Amino acid sequence: MPPPLSIDPALHLSQLTRRHFFSRCALGLGGIAFASLLDERRLHGATAPFADPLAPKAPHFAPRAKNVIYLFMAGGPSQLDLFDYKPRLIELNGKPVPPSLIEGKRFAFMGTSHGNQLLGTRRTFARHGRSGAWVSDLFPHTARIVDDLTIVQSCAADLFNHAPAKLFMNTGSGQFGRPSMGAWVTYGLGSEANNLPGFVVLQSGPRGPRGGAVNWGTGFLPTTYQGVPFRGQGDPILNLTNPAGISALRQRQTLDALRDLNLQQAVATGDAEIHTRIAAYEMASRMQASAPELVDLSRESPATLQRYGVEKGTPSFARNCLIARRLVERGSRFVQLYHTNWDSHGGPGENLESDFEARCREVDQAQAALVTDLKERGMLKDTLVIWGGEFGRTPMGENRDTTGRNHHIDAFTMWFAGGGTKAGTIIGETDELGFNAITERAHVHDLHATILHLLGLDHKKLTFRFQGRDFRLTDVHGNILTSLLA
Amino acid sequence: MPVLCPTSISVLLLVTLGLAPQSIAGPGAPVDFTRDIKPILSDTCYHCHGPDAGSRKSGLRLDRQADALAGGKSGLAAIVPGQPDASELIARIFSSDPDEIMPAPDSHRTLTANQKELLRRWIAEGAGWKEHWAYVPPTRPSLPAQAAATDRAPAPAHPIDAFIHARLAEARITPSPEAPRRVLLRRLALDLTGLPPTPAEVDAFERDPRPDAYERQVDRLLASPHHGERWARPWLDVARYADSNGYSVDAPRQIWKYRDWVVAALNRDLPYDQFVIEQLAGDLLPNATVDQKVATGFNRNTQINQEGGIDPEQFRIESVMDRVATFGSAFLGLTLACSQCHDHKFDPLPQRDYYRLFAFFNSTVDDGHGKSTPGATLAFEGEVSGTEAAKAAADEARLDLEAFLDARGGDFARWRVEIHPDARAQLSPALRAALDIPWAQQTLAQRRSVYGYFVRDHADFQQRVEKLNALERLEGKAVTTLVMSELPEPRATTVFVKGDFTRPGDPVSPGTPAILPPLAAEKPTRLDLARWLFQPDQPLTARVMVNRIWQVYFGRGLVETENDFGSQGSAPSHPELLDWLATEFAAGGWSMKALHRLIVTSATYRQQSLARPDLELSDPLNHLLSRQTRLRLDAELVRDVALVASGLLAPRLGGPPVFPPQPDGVMNLGQSRRAWIPSTGDDRHRRGLYTHFWRATPHPAAAVFDAPDAFSACTRRIRSNTPLQALTLLNDQQFIEFAEALAARVLQEGGNDDTGRLDLAFRLCLSRPPTATERSRLLELLRQIQSPQNGEPAGSAREAWIAVARVLLNLDETITRA
Repeated sequence: MPPPLSIDPALHLSQLTRRHFFSRCALGLGGIAFASLLDERRLHGATAPFADPLAPKAPHFAPRAKNVIYLFMAGGPSQLDLFDYKPRLIELNGKPVPPSLIEGKRFAFMGTSHGNQLLGTRRTFARHGRSGAWVSDLFPHTARIVDDLTIVQSCAADLFNHAPAKLFMNTGSGQFGRPSMGAWVTYGLGSEANNLPGFVVLQSGPRGPRGGAVNWGTGFLPTTYQGVPFRGQGDPILNLTNPAGISALRQRQTLDALRDLNLQQAVATGDAEIHTRIAAYEMASRMQASAPELVDLSRESPATLQRYGVEKGTPSFARNCLIARRLVERGSRFVQLYHTNWDSHGGPGENLESDFEARCREVDQAQAALVTDLKERGMLKDTLVIWGGEFGRTPMGENRDTTGRNHHIDAFTMWFAGGGTKAGTIIGETDELGFNAITERAHVHDLHATILHLLGLDHKKLTFRFQGRDFRLTDVHGNILTSLLA
Repeated sequence: MPVLCPTSISVLLLVTLGLAPQSIAGPGAPVDFTRDIKPILSDTCYHCHGPDAGSRKSGLRLDRQADALAGGKSGLAAIVPGQPDASELIARIFSSDPDEIMPAPDSHRTLTANQKELLRRWIAEGAGWKEHWAYVPPTRPSLPAQAAATDRAPAPAHPIDAFIHARLAEARITPSPEAPRRVLLRRLALDLTGLPPTPAEVDAFERDPRPDAYERQVDRLLASPHHGERWARPWLDVARYADSNGYSVDAPRQIWKYRDWVVAALNRDLPYDQFVIEQLAGDLLPNATVDQKVATGFNRNTQINQEGGIDPEQFRIESVMDRVATFGSAFLGLTLACSQCHDHKFDPLPQRDYYRLFAFFNSTVDDGHGKSTPGATLAFEGEVSGTEAAKAAADEARLDLEAFLDARGGDFARWRVEIHPDARAQLSPALRAALDIPWAQQTLAQRRSVYGYFVRDHADFQQRVEKLNALERLEGKAVTTLVMSELPEPRATTVFVKGDFTRPGDPVSPGTPAILPPLAAEKPTRLDLARWLFQPDQPLTARVMVNRIWQVYFGRGLVETENDFGSQGSAPSHPELLDWLATEFAAGGWSMKALHRLIVTSATYRQQSLARPDLELSDPLNHLLSRQTRLRLDAELVRDVALVASGLLAPRLGGPPVFPPQPDGVMNLGQSRRAWIPSTGDDRHRRGLYTHFWRATPHPAAAVFDAPDAFSACTRRIRSNTPLQALTLLNDQQFIEFAEALAARVLQEGGNDDTGRLDLAFRLCLSRPPTATERSRLLELLRQIQSPQNGEPAGSAREAWIAVARVLLNLDETITRA
C-alpha cells in the first residue's frame, strides 16, 4: 500500500532533493556535463537547491545590476540621424565616399542598391543635459534623459545581414545553436520570480524580428532558460487560459487529482523527475493567475499610462515598456523588447523620412518614460537598460525609392542606463564621417563581457560544456569596457 | 535549504574525475593512461600544448608521445618515464611560484591534488602511452570470462548481458529483475514503434505461455510499418530535416519525399552502409534510381537564406560548412567545426583536413540564394499533392483577394508615375513588366505583387495574402524534392584563413582526415567518401551508430558524449561491449533491425526501471546499468500516445506535411507572417512526425517538449521538464480534443459502471489497471465534478469524464517510457 496521499508536496520535495539531483543527472538532463553542474555548485556555493534550475543563484562577485531590460531596435536604427552628429558629413553631402574607407569592404546589397555617395543627416541636432550629448530632434523625450544614459558611439559588429547579425548580437555568434544572452544570464543567476518566467520576450512593430525564436533560444543550454515570448494581445503566454467551459474550481480539482496520482507514482518508482513535474504544474498554475495580473494595467495610475504613452487595449512598444517594468518588479531576470522595423534602406515602408520618424515616435516617449519611472521607483540602480539594434547605418546614401542608408557594422550607437553604468557619459568617437570607431571601439563581444560583468558574472567563467568544449557567451573574446562602469 | 552532505560531495568529485567511482585507479591499482591521464592532459594542457600549432606555447606538445618525451624549447625533459622527480611536468604542476606553475594562472584551468598525484604516479609507473581509443579500429572482444554462473545469478545467455553483468559483478551489484510484462510491452512498443500497445495486445502478451512470447512481440513490432516512423525521427534530427528554408524569410520548401524515404528505408531494413551511401552520394551511384537521388536530400536540409542584399556565395559556403559539421557528428562523432578556423585544440584535426572534407561537398549545383537551379530539384511528373477541399478553399480566397484588389486601380496609377527610376530599375523583371500593364488587365499574381510592393503594412491585404498563400501550399501542386547534384567541373577549394570565406588560403584537394584510415581513390568523389566510412579499418562509423541507437534505449550512450568521440569526449563506460556491438553490427551486414533486436532481447534492457536506493552512493547515475531508466517521451510521441489513447490516430504513412491546430498568433513570431490553416479531416490526427516544421516558428507543442530546431545536426535531444509543458498538456486545444475523445470512448466502450470505465481509461493510457488508491482518488474526482460547489452547478457525467481524461493524459507516467 503506498503512503497516504496527503503528504505536503513541498516537504516531500525537499526530503528528496539529494536523490532528485542524482536522478536528474542520470537522465542526462540536456547534455549538462556533470562536471559543469559541479563547477556551478562550487561557483555558487552549495546553497541553491537542485530541484529548481531557475532558483536564484549567487553571482561570481558583487553585482552592480540584478536585472536587465533590453530594448532591441530590430533592423538597425540610423545612429547618424539620432545620436552621432557629423557636421562634416553634412558638408560633404552627395560627394563620393573616400575610397580608402571602403576598399575591400563588403556590404549588403553590393550588387544592387548599395551607394557610395555620402549622405549628411537632414535632421536638426542639439546638445542636451550636463553631458552635452548630441541628440536629434527625432528623440525629444530621450534628449531630456541623457544625463541618465551612457551613450556608446563606437559599437562595432561583424556581420551585416539581419538574421546573422541579430544572432550575433544576441548569442555572440552568427551561427545557429548558441544560447542567447538572456539564456546565459538566467542560467547563471536563476530568477527571483516565483510565478513568472525568468526570461521574457515582448514584441511590437509591424512584423516579428528576423530569425524568430533563435534570438531568445537556449542553444545547447537546457530549454528551461529560454526566453518565453509574451504576446501583445490576449493571453500573454500560450495556453494560459483554462479551456472553454472549465472553471477555476474544476481546473483546481483536476490539478489536485493529477498531483496526487503523480506523487503516488513518484513514491512507487523513486524517480525524482516526477517531483520536478509536480513542481512545474504548480508553477504553471501560479502563472495562470499571475500572468493576467501582470498585463492588467488597470491599477497603473493614469499619470503613468500617460507618461509611457500607453493606449488602452492597443499593443505597442509603450505597453511593453510598462510591462517590462512590472516584470522586473515581480522578479524576472531578463526582459527583452523587440521593436521592428528600423531597416531604413529607402524603399516603401522603410524610408528615412516618414517611416523612420514613425519608428522614432513609437519608441521615444516610452523608452524615456521607462528610465525615468525606474529611477523614481528606486529600481534603476539594480536594473540595466540596454538600447540598440543589430548594427547601424552607412554614412553613404542607398538608392532605392528614396535615399536611405545601408547596413553598417563598423560604427553604431547603443545606450545604457542604470545597473551600475556611468550616467551622463559619452563613450567612443567615430571619424568625421561616422564611418569607423576611432576611440574606445566597443565590439559586441566587449559589450557582452561588460553586461555580464555588471551582473556580477565573469564572462570567462560562465561556461557550459558541450561537444567537448567549454562554451561562453563571448567565445574566446571580450574585454570589459571599464569606462562604462560607474 | 537542502545542503549536500560531505559524503555526496566526495562522490561528486570522484564522478567528475572519471566516470563512476570504481573506474578510477585506486591506491593499489595501476594508472591507466586512457582512463586516468589522457582526460587530464586534454582538459588542462592541450589548450596550449596540444594539436593546434597556432596556440602552442614554448614548443611543448603533450598530445603525442614522442613530442611529450622530447619536451619543449627549454630543452628540459617534460616526462622522464619512471622518474617523476626528473620530469619538468611534475616540477611545474607542483610549483608554487606563479611564474612557474602549470597550468598557468591566466589559463583559468587548475589541477586538483588528486589529479597531480595521478600524474606523478603515472610517470613513476613508466608513463605508459596509448593512442586515443576511438582512432583505433575495434577488434571483436571475447565475452568476459566472469560471465559464468554465480550463486547470485545464472550465466547470462545473451552477449550484452555477459558484458554488463561482468562489470556489475566486479562492483558487487546485482542487476534488477525483469519488469512486469505489461511494463515491458509498453516499453517495447514505444521504443520500436512509438505507439503504445492496445489493451488487447497487453492482455494477449500477459497470457502467452510460450517461452518465446517476448521475442514474438519483438518480431511483430519490428515488422510494423510504424517502426520506420519511430526510428526516422532521431535520424531526421541528425539530418536537420525541416519543411522551410530557415534564416529570416523561412519560406516553405518541399523535401518530404526525403522524410518518406527514411521511413521506408528503415522499414525494409536497408543495411546501414547502403542507407548512408545513398544519402551522402546516391546521385553518384551508377544508374542511380529516383529513390537513391531522393535520399541525397540528407544534405539538402541545409538552410537557405533568401534575405535581400546577401552575398549568395557566403551562404552557399555556410551550407557546405553545415554539411561538413553534420558529416562529422553523424558518422564520425567528431566536432569537425572546431577546425574551421584553426587547427583543432584537442584532437589531431588540422585546419587543412577540415577543408579537404569541405572539398567533397563544395561542387554541387545548389546556390546560396535558393534560386531554382537546374539539377538541384527533382520533380515527380504527374504527382500532385493536396486535396479537393484545399482547392475549393483556395479558389474562394482568390476570389476574395480579387474583389479586394479590384477597387485599388486608382492607387496603382499614382504609384506608376511616382516610383523613382533607381527603385524601378531594381524591381524584378516580372514586377517591372506589370507596371506597364493597366490595373484592370493585370493577373491576380501581378496585382498581388504590385500591391505587396507598394503597400507593405496594410493588414487587410496581408491577412488575405497570408491565408491564400497557406491555402495554395495545400492545394494541388507539383511534387518536388531537393537533391544533391554535382557541377560538371568541380569548384576549386582552399583553406579559409580563420574560417573567413573572404580570405582564401592554400588550395586543397578532397581527402579524409590524416588521423583516420587513408582513402584509396586517386581523385576521390563524394561517393568514395561515403564508401570510405565503411572500410574495414574505419574505427568510428560503427561505434558511433551503435552508440546512438543504444542511447535511445537507455537514455545515455555507452559513450555519453555521443557527438564527441575525440579526446574531450567521455571514455566509454563499457569499452568492450561497445566494440563487440560495433563489430557485430558490421559483421551482421549492417542490419539495423538485427541491432534493435539484439539490444531489446537482452536482460539488461528488460530490467525494471525502479530507482535503487541501495546504489545511491555507489552508482547514482546508473552507469553500470543495474536497472532501466524512466525516459520522458520525445515531443512527437507525447502527442502520438494521446492520439492512440483517445482513438483518434490516423495511422496513414507518408505524404506532404500536415497542419494540426496550434494557438493563434504563433506564426507572427517570424519575420514573414504566414497563416497556419489547421488541417481538416484525419490530417488533424496524423503522427507528430508529419507536422509541418517551420524553422522560424516551430509548432509550439513540439518546441516546448524539446523538438530540435533543425538548424544543425542534433544527435541527442534535451529532456526538459517545464511549466510551459504543463500548460500545453493542460490547456492546448489539441489536448482538449484528445481528452474529449478519450472521455467519449471510455463512456461508450467502458461499460456502465465507473470502475470499469476507469479500468479501460487506465489501460488505454498506461497499459495497466489503476491501483486501489488511484481508483478511489479518481472516483472522488468524478464525484467532485458532478457535485455543486461554491455556487457552481454540478457538472455532467461527460464533463466529469473529460476531467478524468485530462488527468490521465497529463500524468507523468503517460508521457514516460518506464
